[in-house]
Amino acid sequence: MTADLLLQAVVSGLLLGGVYGLVASGLSLVFGVLRIINFAHGAVMMLAMYTTYWLFTLAGIDPYLSIVVTGPLFFLIGMVIQRVVIEPNRFAAEHNQLLLTLGLALFLENLALVLWQGDFRSVRPSYAGASFVVGEALVEVPRLIACGGAIVMALALFAFLRLTDVGKAIRALSEEPEGAMLMGIDVGRIRAVAFGIGAGCVAVAGALVTPFFYVAPDVGESFNIIAFVVVVLGGMGNFVGALLGGFIVGLAESLGATLLPGSLKQLVVFGLFVLVLLFRPAGLFGGGRDR
Amino acid sequence: MTGEVLAGLALGLLLVAPPFLPPYFLEILISVMLFGYLGAAWNILGGYAGQFSFGHAAYFGIGAYTSTLLFLRLGVSPWLGMLAGGVLAAAFGLAAGYLSFRYGLRGPYFSLVTLAFAEMLRVIAVNTKAVGSSLGLVIPNREPAPVNFVFAGKLSYYYVILAMAVGAVWITRRVARSKLGYSLLAIRENEDAAEASGVDALGMKLRAMAISSFLTALGGTFYAQYFAYIDPTITFGPSVSIQGLLQAIVGGAGTVLGPVVGAFVLTPMSELSRAAIRGRAGVDVMLYGIVLILVISFLPRGILGSLRRRP
Amino acid sequence: MNRRAFLKSAGAVAALGAVPSIGRAQAKEVKVGYILPVTGPLAFEAQLSLNGLQLAVDEINSAGGIKALGGAKLTLLPGDTQNKVELGNSEAARLIDQGISVLIGPFSSLVAYSVRQVAEKNKTPFMLLAAVADNLTEGGLRYVFRVQPNGKAMSTLTMNNMLEMGKAASTPIKRVAMMHEDGNFGTTMGNHVEAFAGKLGYALVQRIPYSLKSPDFTAELSKIKASKPDLLVISGYYGDSKIIAETAAKLRIGVHALVGLANAAYSNPKFIADNRDLTDQLFDGNYWHNPQSPRAKAVFAAYEKRFNSTLTSHGVQAYTVIGVLKDALERAGSTDRDKLRDALSKTNLADHILPQDAIKFDDTGENVNATPALLQVQNGRPVVVGPARFAEAKPVFPVPKWHG
Repeated sequence: MTADLLLQAVVSGLLLGGVYGLVASGLSLVFGVLRIINFAHGAVMMLAMYTTYWLFTLAGIDPYLSIVVTGPLFFLIGMVIQRVVIEPNRFAAEHNQLLLTLGLALFLENLALVLWQGDFRSVRPSYAGASFVVGEALVEVPRLIACGGAIVMALALFAFLRLTDVGKAIRALSEEPEGAMLMGIDVGRIRAVAFGIGAGCVAVAGALVTPFFYVAPDVGESFNIIAFVVVVLGGMGNFVGALLGGFIVGLAESLGATLLPGSLKQLVVFGLFVLVLLFRPAGLFGGGRDR
Repeated sequence: MTGEVLAGLALGLLLVAPPFLPPYFLEILISVMLFGYLGAAWNILGGYAGQFSFGHAAYFGIGAYTSTLLFLRLGVSPWLGMLAGGVLAAAFGLAAGYLSFRYGLRGPYFSLVTLAFAEMLRVIAVNTKAVGSSLGLVIPNREPAPVNFVFAGKLSYYYVILAMAVGAVWITRRVARSKLGYSLLAIRENEDAAEASGVDALGMKLRAMAISSFLTALGGTFYAQYFAYIDPTITFGPSVSIQGLLQAIVGGAGTVLGPVVGAFVLTPMSELSRAAIRGRAGVDVMLYGIVLILVISFLPRGILGSLRRRP
Repeated sequence: MNRRAFLKSAGAVAALGAVPSIGRAQAKEVKVGYILPVTGPLAFEAQLSLNGLQLAVDEINSAGGIKALGGAKLTLLPGDTQNKVELGNSEAARLIDQGISVLIGPFSSLVAYSVRQVAEKNKTPFMLLAAVADNLTEGGLRYVFRVQPNGKAMSTLTMNNMLEMGKAASTPIKRVAMMHEDGNFGTTMGNHVEAFAGKLGYALVQRIPYSLKSPDFTAELSKIKASKPDLLVISGYYGDSKIIAETAAKLRIGVHALVGLANAAYSNPKFIADNRDLTDQLFDGNYWHNPQSPRAKAVFAAYEKRFNSTLTSHGVQAYTVIGVLKDALERAGSTDRDKLRDALSKTNLADHILPQDAIKFDDTGENVNATPALLQVQNGRPVVVGPARFAEAKPVFPVPKWHG
């Protein structure tokens, strides 16, 4: 019986971990290039979920298909936010930039509250109730699609960074800022693109999650802090590390829920966070910025 | 110096005017003083030492729960409990600080680890029946008993928090002008250089942490006694952490009066916005967000910090 | 003085000493103060309650007001707590100064805990609205009254209803599992379900508090499935309740039924409409009206006409509180707070739209017959399936889908 519980914990932990990984990849990319920890990441995800909701409710567009709209839309929104709010302050002290994104998060979350009020909304496409069993472990189809979509998106991101010129420029700026500038890379543009990609990633994650979650102004909070944990675990700036870190955190959380009483699973996640911060701040896989 | 004269006048007004204020304004003033106090406590570590804690709620909560539990379970006067809470919080702060600083956590990494510590305490409180879990703790007997930190009217509470705020400002001033203060300034500007020139960065930062966490905990006890109810979210939640640092940032981190000025700007602003746009939850926090963005963008040293730059 | 003057003056004195309502200025209105979180995060719910108050007050006034007071009309005096304790206190004090006969409110249990002291000190009847906490009527206060079921009644009666249902269907409920959000609301419910297990005759085999924010409860629900319960009780809010209902079904959690306990989602028409396939045959023990009552139907129609939306249980509670107040005023024949307080304590009101017997208060001020309704979602609608004499449909029990 306990073996079944553990198997279930592993399966559902990995499924959710994929989504955590996608959310964190965007955050990690932004950190690698802009050196800021974006507190508004979850808020952008929330806005994307509202967008998915409106597209579904008003135009009947399937949430997964709507990614074609939501992804690019939030890429653009991300670029605008970067240009307007963050770029003008790029020489500000690190902690001030952190506070900037905190202010942005407070603003966006409460803007949603003011505009659409606190009541909850659901998106429920016809296949949302589908599921199957692997051994004794339940696999819910929407969660499987979300995990799969997250992996695909992460791989696409990886390919983009490896194969395209813009991608290479982003990596260069992330790994070797001074060298990159000397090579004549348009730093301002790359920074905006990187932030846009971060926003686009988390927007896709939001769309993927909407069919099995709910939509409300505070929904980003469920993923925001976890994303930080994953990014630190994977190594800040190491986007592949972020995806792997997502699986690890999802797994840890799920095992925590199985083995610990009450709602202590959160303690496992934060405990892991503190341990990594103290003992391996460059991340489990290295490659991240140290301290 | 005009600054000091203004401050003196303001203090005079704060001492004399409140008995004549309508109850609603007195309430707002108490909120202002409490937030200003918390901001000043945060400022010692955040503004002066440059270590931005996002988890000061941890100390606030330790203070609130310690004094309340001692009072409810053992009948210890909250005045003593307040001190006990402060010492406990300082101990926790030193432990957390030592771990973080010793392992070289700086900047955003330090901020994140403090956030994690506060959240961990919250989750533990929620899951611990002995401290009431999510039902929290109520201080039931409201019979006025000054020896037990229970007063008949709001005015008495006001003067207590006013005294605490003045005390925090005075401590800030003393620290700023002391060797500790100069060391912290050096550390804030460039920790490695400071270390190289012989400053014991770890020791100095820990001192700042101890003072900051001790003071914050006292604020927690005040809150518990004034509102007579605490729970894990109110005390350990992110709201308290954010409120504390907001006052200092907006008013001027690293200045003596910054947090108090920040409180006088932010609290009425949120009250007015809430009254102006009735029935719409979230307007006040939305404005906090905008103010924070604007302040960081245009007044990165806060109101007082920017004023100082004038020739 | 001469005889005529004496008679005149005697007559004047006699007139003054006669029945007080004659000669003195008649009470043309009864001041009814309310304190609600009109602005702030609970503004939406507060408005629903306010609508209920308004509907009831206007209904009474247009029917001639309070007869025993010569047709005096009820006047609502507003107070905004912003869901804060200090404001609750100050607004209550302000309204009391303005001469209210009764205070209604304040929604939040936290605010209520403090305001009741203010009301008691000023000897003003305080009729609770929405505040659930059990300790509000403790402490020997004489001026606090609560019409709706408190946390204890909500839990014990709902559990009882389910147990009875189990017996009636020959599928007894012996093992109960509970999941609740780890905040104030969920923990209160969880504590009751745990505390009354022995007394009501079931074993609580699993109790799992969870964090609202979590996007996944598969591990928790697997633990519950492994403990082989007959019944799963959920005290939660929207998002979490949705995920739980969904995952529990897919896991084939094996219970006879899933029942919400004051659940924010399972009898919420909007939630049900948005999640049709998910919500079928979910139970919920919650505040509700009496669907058999013709008066209830009329009230719903009137509300719909006036506010262009469906009456919610918030509105039902508020409407009922005014009804109780009116009845007490008629019996008291006075706007005097103490007389009103005494009349309230002697309430025995059968003419209401709640799913319970007559409204009567015990000496702590709790409505002794307060009953939550047991609802089940059938054909996309929440219908009352218990207690039997108020039911509008038969319950489907056991519910097959949990066994797959």
